[in-house]
Amino acid sequence: MAGGDVPTEKGFVPPAEAPLVPPSPPAVEELAFAGEAAAGVLAGIPGRTGVERTRTIVVYTLLGAIALVYFVPFLWTISTSLKSLPETEQFNLLPHHPTLHAYHDVLTTFHFLRYAANSAGLAATVTVLNVFLCSLGGYAFARLRFPGREVLFMAVLATLMIPDQLRLVPIFVKFSQWHLLGHYHAYVLIKLASAAQLFLMRQYFLTIPRDLEEAAKLDGAGYFKTFWKVMLPLAGPAIAAVAILEFEGTWNDFFWPLIIFTTAPSHFTLPVGIFSFVTTYQTQWPQLMAGSAIAIAPIAVIYLFFQRYFVAGVASAGVKG
Amino acid sequence: MAATATTSSATGARSIGGERLKETLVGYGFIAGPMLVYGLLFFYPIAYSIYISRYDWGALGKISSRGSGNYRDLLHDHRFGLAVKNGLKFTIGFAVFSMALGLFVAVVVNNAVRARTFFRSAYYFPSIASSAAITAIALFVLSADGIFNKLTGLHHAWFGESGTALWAIVGLNSWTTSGTVMLFYLAYLQAIPTEVYEAAAIDGAGAWRTFWKVTFPLLKPGHFFVSTLLVIGGLKMFDQAFIASGGSGGPNNSTLVPVLYLYRVAFYDVRFGYAAAIGLALMLLMFTLTLIQRLTFGRAEAA
Repeated sequence: MAGGDVPTEKGFVPPAEAPLVPPSPPAVEELAFAGEAAAGVLAGIPGRTGVERTRTIVVYTLLGAIALVYFVPFLWTISTSLKSLPETEQFNLLPHHPTLHAYHDVLTTFHFLRYAANSAGLAATVTVLNVFLCSLGGYAFARLRFPGREVLFMAVLATLMIPDQLRLVPIFVKFSQWHLLGHYHAYVLIKLASAAQLFLMRQYFLTIPRDLEEAAKLDGAGYFKTFWKVMLPLAGPAIAAVAILEFEGTWNDFFWPLIIFTTAPSHFTLPVGIFSFVTTYQTQWPQLMAGSAIAIAPIAVIYLFFQRYFVAGVASAGVKG
Repeated sequence: MAATATTSSATGARSIGGERLKETLVGYGFIAGPMLVYGLLFFYPIAYSIYISRYDWGALGKISSRGSGNYRDLLHDHRFGLAVKNGLKFTIGFAVFSMALGLFVAVVVNNAVRARTFFRSAYYFPSIASSAAITAIALFVLSADGIFNKLTGLHHAWFGESGTALWAIVGLNSWTTSGTVMLFYLAYLQAIPTEVYEAAAIDGAGAWRTFWKVTFPLLKPGHFFVSTLLVIGGLKMFDQAFIASGGSGGPNNSTLVPVLYLYRVAFYDVRFGYAAAIGLALMLLMFTLTLIQRLTFGRAEAA
């Protein structure tokens, strides 16, 4: 499985060699092409066309069936969000009298507009800070020489082994002593820099040829200027991946907003808002589904346009708990 | 080189040394931000966690010293035992189902000649949707008069019955995580050389046989990688159990998983010392399971 951790000129490759995690998968994007070719080779074996046709039919039938199973819950969500409460008792996928009432209700009466704004603000802030700090750190670890670099980098990677659940109690106790609970900046502080993103940036910087940096240095540019004007623009694909993963992770985060904002309902993010709604008005299905659709839609739109960055970053993102 | 060094002027040598020093300072400056965050929010909390775990610690801070009392209590705490049992039950179910589902989907997608990227992207989508929203949707779909019962003819309040609630979460998380599992398996599948399949085809092996005799064993590094991620992910599961049970871990403690228990001890019972001990015990459990997995797979690999 050596293929995964070798950066190629083809573009961005996931940091397959996740530390302390067992053998890494090969780069997803890249191998897609090899697979495409392989399928073609198999299809081209003479005397097997009949078998091939059957296989094609079976494969696409299964693909359709899986798509149905995977997406019916989402379609059902949208459908229900456009219904009135009495109509949810009927099992029609297309609402007879589609209405945006539930959306209006959930956004205003149930404060989801506020929650969405909180989510967006926090996700944007965290994303910008993460991109800046992790690219700065990643660049230093990739390119600059200073004593203790390797040890410090191992320390960064070691943080990946520390589960959030272990940090819960000490961080809550400390934040409570520091009067940080219930404040936006407390949450931003927790999400300020992530080791996975720093690792991702470092791996990308390692693939950029040194010549450009040398040239900048000969022109008399300082370290920060070289980083900011030369290296950062070259790291576009990695920055995009880090930004998208961080935005998605923060937007969807339920655990830390729950801990930090429990006593401050005006600071709720969408996931916490959904939880709060569930515990209070569980069976108001159209409103709950509208709220869920609002929480999912922005990520769906981003995914539609930037899916390859999601796929590229999957190795570092790990598994959803 | 040596000649140049000896003939170079003293100022030149100093400027090289100065450059080194400057690079060092700049390096420390660049990593200062992230390192401060990791120190303050990762390493310090661990140390502090160990400290807290040796006290009775309430809302206002230390109450009394307990030594290793919190850890001894863990051994006799039947609710902790129950939480670990639920956690393991969930983790095994979750790992098995999402691996089976993810591998199945990966194999199907891998066999698609056209639109492969499209299907891959589509199936991955549930993995990146908000866990809270997904759980809310599941509450609706799996409710007593929800569409799942309607379509299957079953009559369960899936999250409301102690016999089914945990399995409902297993199903829910396997559905969302199978997309991620599929991505990993696809990468491993595409790393298998085509000649292997050609040889199997020449030997007259059918698709079913080829899969079990050729593909599945060749995916072993994939099984290891994916199962390790899933076991750790499974033990950390919190969002879905918390939201589906309204924070209670019910019905009848059936969805009381370890992290949810930790949360309840900390914020409902306000016993931070004990909660810290639970956190450390959980981390130990995760390390142990990872180690066991590594040893088992490692030995099988060597054999």
